[in-house]
Amino acid sequence: MNWDIARKNFYRQGMRAFLNVLVTALSIISLIFMLSLLNGFQAQATRNLVATDVGGGHYRAPGFDILSPTEWEDYTLKTTESLLRLSDKDKAEVLVQQGQLYPNRRLFPVQIRGISMQQSLLILPLDNLKKFDAEIEDAIPAVVGVKMARKAHLAKGDILTLKWRDKSGAVDARDIVIMDVGDMVNPRVDDGVVWLRLDHLRSMTDRAGEVSWVAVRDYLGPIDRFEFQSLEILMADLLALLRQDRINSKILWTILMILVCTSVCNTQILNIFKRQKEIGTLMALGMDSKRIVRIFTLEGTLAAIWALAVAAFLGVPFFIWFQGIGFDVSHLSEASFPIRETIYPDYQPLEIFYSLAIVFVLVVVAAWLPVQKITRLDPTLALRGRAIT
Amino acid sequence: MDKKLITLNEVSKVFRVGEENFTALHEISLEIECGAFMSFVGPSGSGKTTLLNLIGGLDVPTTGNIFFKDEGLSSMSREQMARYRRENIGFIFQTYNLLPVYSVYENVLFPLLLNGSKEKDVRDRVMDIVDKVGLTDQAKKRPAQLSGGQSQRVAIARALVKDPLLILADEPTANLDTENSLHILELMKQLNRQYQAAVVFSTHDEKVTRYVRREVKLEDGRIVSDKNNIKGVS
Repeated sequence: MNWDIARKNFYRQGMRAFLNVLVTALSIISLIFMLSLLNGFQAQATRNLVATDVGGGHYRAPGFDILSPTEWEDYTLKTTESLLRLSDKDKAEVLVQQGQLYPNRRLFPVQIRGISMQQSLLILPLDNLKKFDAEIEDAIPAVVGVKMARKAHLAKGDILTLKWRDKSGAVDARDIVIMDVGDMVNPRVDDGVVWLRLDHLRSMTDRAGEVSWVAVRDYLGPIDRFEFQSLEILMADLLALLRQDRINSKILWTILMILVCTSVCNTQILNIFKRQKEIGTLMALGMDSKRIVRIFTLEGTLAAIWALAVAAFLGVPFFIWFQGIGFDVSHLSEASFPIRETIYPDYQPLEIFYSLAIVFVLVVVAAWLPVQKITRLDPTLALRGRAIT
Repeated sequence: MDKKLITLNEVSKVFRVGEENFTALHEISLEIECGAFMSFVGPSGSGKTTLLNLIGGLDVPTTGNIFFKDEGLSSMSREQMARYRRENIGFIFQTYNLLPVYSVYENVLFPLLLNGSKEKDVRDRVMDIVDKVGLTDQAKKRPAQLSGGQSQRVAIARALVKDPLLILADEPTANLDTENSLHILELMKQLNRQYQAAVVFSTHDEKVTRYVRREVKLEDGRIVSDKNNIKGVS
């Protein structure tokens, strides 16, 4: 009979019950959407860093530190046979040297990166360098990223002077031609970086067969003279940021949950508040407190079930649609996060499950708690609508 | 017929209002007989509703005892009190207090379901009472679709359907116009005769006082007169 009463009470409330369910369902959808977007942002940042720079780790010349440009020349090594044997999709040889660029009569310190043109491990927009020979002709072909181009006022086709030191310490300079301004996605390989063919940079610096590092798809075990730097080491700054971001996202999750809880509790309690007289009437008719609490809790459970169903009905098509178009974050292109113009939500089943479970329990508790309180008071207070104020 | 149904022994009720104590009832002693048709009369704040609530087991006295037949209400647990209300008392409220999502028929049926009856066993009884209050045509309507007079008739049917020994009607005509008030009183008079349930009104409506057989006048929580009304229902 309790179920019958609860069912009738719930369904016959009509619009009030529907709005109650709709508010909860929309809260659930917003919660999942916000969390998934944040997850997507983090996952995409990690993916992009791996795809453009880190690969599966670096075999580096021991002592090489990307943060010490004055020492880059001191830490290069000839690639070993075991690394050379790897296919081009499993390795990317990189030589890093410092240089100075002279755009518009200004001095611009740059990181010159040479990368083998055959590699397909790292995804970089360097196709315009591939057509050249290993022999340098008039000007050295180079590619820069969008950020670098903007900072140094460079455009495709520009010719300007690049200065560097060779292996013997002799300073040399030559014109370079900007073959392309590419979207590097990752600021680490864009900001202040001039990309050259590896064979060109080796020849310019007289470092035949040398590299600063070899990015590999998988760890190959110890390799003579090289030291391996794992993803964790190479992405330490990003991972630290993401760790902090995860803390922030937990705070955000908590704030979102509180907002959802407030919205759900507000709706539920307002509903109960409006029904105080009804509860008082049930008490006056002789229904015992436990039974009243049970009926209202069942109503809350029905509301929670419907909220989940409506959230699924409205949310799933929305999430599928949004996965197709993504979220435009072009306004963040100046940020130091390696993110694309569009980020896509990353739905974490466990996180969704926890969020749904919490909202479900909350709806039921929000139905149970005030009724529990009302039924402990005198029925006269409920009849006058003053049991909860 | 004058068998005691309710006995009040020096019943007082004190409410806490902010920092102050407010005594709503001062040592009221009173007896209500089976089949009575009586009213508590008095101005607002005289303690009529409080007295009705105490008798109906909706509230408990601060001091004194209330007995239903020989059973003391003060010693009852909340569950026993709920059972006392469920089995013995029918309430009629000034604002009707019908369950808004139920039809007329379902509102009247509800107390019987609470008492454990099956709908199929009591359907005829419910329709009989609905018919007696003149609402057969409205049986499927919800309270929001009814007038004040119709709603109060549903409340009467709901109070009567379980055949209670006592009906407590708190200002049942206060929200009704004269014509509807008289219809309701006439109806209650008939039903009192027919069902032998004691009916106690709380009212300050003079129309009610003309109908009752006994009138207990209250002022400031005290009984100032308790008299039989020979012009009332015979």
